[in-house]
Amino acid sequence: MEYKDYYETLGVPRTATQEDIKRAYRKLARKYHPDVSKEPKAEARFKEVGEAYKVLKETDTRAAYDQMGNKWKSGQEFQPPPDWDSGFEFSGRDFGSDGGGEFSEFFESLFGRAGRANTHRQSVHAQGQDHHAKVLIELADAYHGAQRSVSFRVPYLDKEGHAISKDRTLNVTIPKGIREGQHLRLSGQGGSGLREGRPGDLYLEIAFHPHPVFRVDGRDVYFDLPLAPWEAALGATVSVPTPDGPVQLSIPAGSSAGRRLRLKGKGIPGSPPGDLYAVLGIALPPAETDAAKDAYLTMQRSLNFNPRAQWKEKL
Amino acid sequence: MSDLTANYLSGEVVENEIHLSLVELCKACSAAEDQVTAWVFEGVLEPAGNGPRDWRFTGHSLRRARLALRISRDLEVNPPGVALALDLLEQIAMLKSRLECLGSA
Repeated sequence: MEYKDYYETLGVPRTATQEDIKRAYRKLARKYHPDVSKEPKAEARFKEVGEAYKVLKETDTRAAYDQMGNKWKSGQEFQPPPDWDSGFEFSGRDFGSDGGGEFSEFFESLFGRAGRANTHRQSVHAQGQDHHAKVLIELADAYHGAQRSVSFRVPYLDKEGHAISKDRTLNVTIPKGIREGQHLRLSGQGGSGLREGRPGDLYLEIAFHPHPVFRVDGRDVYFDLPLAPWEAALGATVSVPTPDGPVQLSIPAGSSAGRRLRLKGKGIPGSPPGDLYAVLGIALPPAETDAAKDAYLTMQRSLNFNPRAQWKEKL
Repeated sequence: MSDLTANYLSGEVVENEIHLSLVELCKACSAAEDQVTAWVFEGVLEPAGNGPRDWRFTGHSLRRARLALRISRDLEVNPPGVALALDLLEQIAMLKSRLECLGSA
């Protein structure tokens, strides 16, 4: 097992006051909190910081940790000295069930016992806990509904009360029209109840796999539609993809780049259904051959076009 | 398809089909009733109904309540701070989504 230097994790000296520790924790927690942070590896870092704070914020656990001395470095092989915690009593502390998740082996071996003592508090027929998991589905599943096998990790307490997580796979019917951020509640699929207590529910929060063509905003769906200059200028009918299969879309003459064409009701189904938007772009044909160059020169001669004409009025 | 053994579970879409009571919401996000009540009075959650016994929460509230719980627990933020953080986070998420949809790469 690896030693954890909790002071190093929080970036404070061993002599830090409780106030210093709290301040250091809050600063790091805001920096690495997975709901707020854009830092890489935020979640792992946040767990380390949280674990360090759990031990150092209380004077008794901090004192017990300090008593082991500081002859190890972070990551060094470590076995707790016998009776390292003699004279300390952590009972009544609830390390296990406040959702902090998994702790390091180091933490478990030293302080895990305090969490274990607590798992017996529940009443005899306690109802199981509700579980939550985020699952990724394909956009097409929301359009048509689907039957999918989904995998996710669920937390649970093992027999000795360690908070750990395990993989779980379930076959689930994805209802047509479900949107990102919505929850699917599966009755009785959460944590098991004690004795005759009924099991908890499982809430699946839906998110979409990123799609190479379509982008989703609520019930509306967007895609980029590149056009040749003559299609945008003269109008055209082009075949465009939709999650329901290709459709013919007419492009009005004089369409400019950035314009959005709406395919009403072709977004995610529902009442009301979302819309599908084609975001127009104009692709420039390469001028690599003499014929292509001639075509551009002909345009130049016959159009008398100044793309920067609007500057004259504004500057 | 020799699919006789596979059973597919059907769930309910919380946002469309269900309203959660205060007790159900508390159980669903492992939060205490007084905590959830404090968030309602702070405007973090906006249930329908007149009083705590009568409150009905949507799936949107479920997501916000879970986020509120994590933020208040992990960052030691009080209910007004939670309310502010959630509103800002929701704005950021909305702007990011708009940005992705409009300003394509």
